[in-house]
Amino acid sequence: MTRQLLNPKESGNRTEGEQRTLPPFQETSSSRTTPVLQLNGLTVQIQQGRRITPIVGDASFTIHPGETLALVGESGSGKSVTAGAILGLLPPSMRVTAGQIVFQGEDIAPWPVKKRRILCGGRIGYVFQDYQGSFTPFIKIGKQMIETIRSHRRLSAKQAKAVALESLDQVGLPAERVFDSYPFQLSGGQLQRAALASTMVLRPAILIADEPTTALDVLTGERVLDVMDRLKRQTGCAVLFISHDLRLVLKRADSVAVMRGGSIVEWGRMNAIRDHARHPYTQMLLKARPSLSEIQAGLVREDEDELVVACKMGGSA
Amino acid sequence: MNELLRAEGISKTYLDSGREVMAMQDVSLHIGEGECLGVVGESGSGKSTLGRLLLALERPEQGNIKFQGVSFADLRGKALHSLRRHIQVVFQDPTASLNQRLPVWRSVMEPLDNFPEVTPPFLADVRHSRRESAARLLEMVGLSREHLDRYPHELSGGQRQRVAIARGVSLNPKLLICDEPTSSLDVSVQAQILKLLKHLQTRLGMACLFISHDIAAVRMICDRIIVMKDGRIVDEFASGRIMGEDRHAYTRLLIRGAE
Repeated sequence: MTRQLLNPKESGNRTEGEQRTLPPFQETSSSRTTPVLQLNGLTVQIQQGRRITPIVGDASFTIHPGETLALVGESGSGKSVTAGAILGLLPPSMRVTAGQIVFQGEDIAPWPVKKRRILCGGRIGYVFQDYQGSFTPFIKIGKQMIETIRSHRRLSAKQAKAVALESLDQVGLPAERVFDSYPFQLSGGQLQRAALASTMVLRPAILIADEPTTALDVLTGERVLDVMDRLKRQTGCAVLFISHDLRLVLKRADSVAVMRGGSIVEWGRMNAIRDHARHPYTQMLLKARPSLSEIQAGLVREDEDELVVACKMGGSA
Repeated sequence: MNELLRAEGISKTYLDSGREVMAMQDVSLHIGEGECLGVVGESGSGKSTLGRLLLALERPEQGNIKFQGVSFADLRGKALHSLRRHIQVVFQDPTASLNQRLPVWRSVMEPLDNFPEVTPPFLADVRHSRRESAARLLEMVGLSREHLDRYPHELSGGQRQRVAIARGVSLNPKLLICDEPTSSLDVSVQAQILKLLKHLQTRLGMACLFISHDIAAVRMICDRIIVMKDGRIVDEFASGRIMGEDRHAYTRLLIRGAE
């Protein structure tokens, strides 16, 4: 079953050379299907007193079913605000002032808050960096999952429990034990997987993962991402993977959008970004974190001139 | 290379809600003068405990640490004070390690104020003036005079870490311990800070113990690498041998995550 779902996905991902020559929005067979999510010129502004400042400007990208799009940028680039806008979870001081958020063919940006709430957590799932905030601390994981399930699906408590247990099992956790645990009884990696189970149980069309592994160890993080990839293949949902670490997402994403100062400066297939990044900022991000094999091959030299530049940049960074 | 520091068979336990937890078990290592030794491991592997033990902030229950042949255990009072001059530290979070209420020049000068008799060669011509000394130190880390009177909150994360580094090298220590110095910074800033540390380490000829979970960063700036897991050293090798066939299975896992 998993394999059957897996195969069309992989075939959609073939020939690198061919894809590079095409702009991302015309690419692959998946463009014929309806995108799960499409941002058209999204603009978000923040109001501080009388001052209004744009924090996301004219952001556009498209995510197709079963695809992982990585949104990469450093702190303050506006990537989390973009996620907040999609989820309808922006703080009161921020507002979407222009652009569309098209979810499965319908612009949800003008929807009233109540209608957005039903979508968010249901058809649009999410996990955040702060896995401790994903659960209420003094209620057992199982009880919280049942509550989540029953607020979106018409199921009896017993049915909901069965669904929750299955979902916990799917993320590789000891289902019964985790179901009966309080959040503080689990490790960071376990909690993040429980959070994944809790959001994936509702079979979202898209999962928004905002820095899901940043607070975790490298290996624990890898395991969480492995689980995320497997769930994606099993359910065919799309993923919007938000991270500050371009190297990390290159291993997981089908396409990559690089964000800086509230704008998307480059957007393309993963291979194209990795091997032929056009924007200087993307090139800098790649260079800032060379892979071990690149370091080993001596591709990264400690250049004195470069250091001087780095020091000067430090003055304004 | 002359040996600067040697730790032999050190163990350390902590009490965690009544239970004894082995943070470090029978760890032995040495650092040569001017050498950059990397310590890689995940959280809970004991690498930060190692840092605190080598700073003499805590004492091991077993084993012995010697700095230039003198055992830590024998050091009290004045002797311990003078040891601190030679072993300095840069922590992960400069927001926590800098006093928020002091302008950065006063934070930078704290170590030198504690050791009025010390004049590092790079401050020989300005040591008479505290502000001039601070200005020189800021220049060394790529900041400028205009940052002297700023407060930590007026600086970016990378700039704050540069201030912490300026303070760390101010006494011209023989060993600088860096505990995850880039982990709380943006990727592009991380690279700059790594380069700065490497540059200072070479220029000042100081040894460095670089503690990190980021094996790529460690590979980039260290001569030799130690891998820790569950309070033990599981692997040790020269940086260039990181892809060698004799690597421990756990090291390979960490490498796989960084490729």
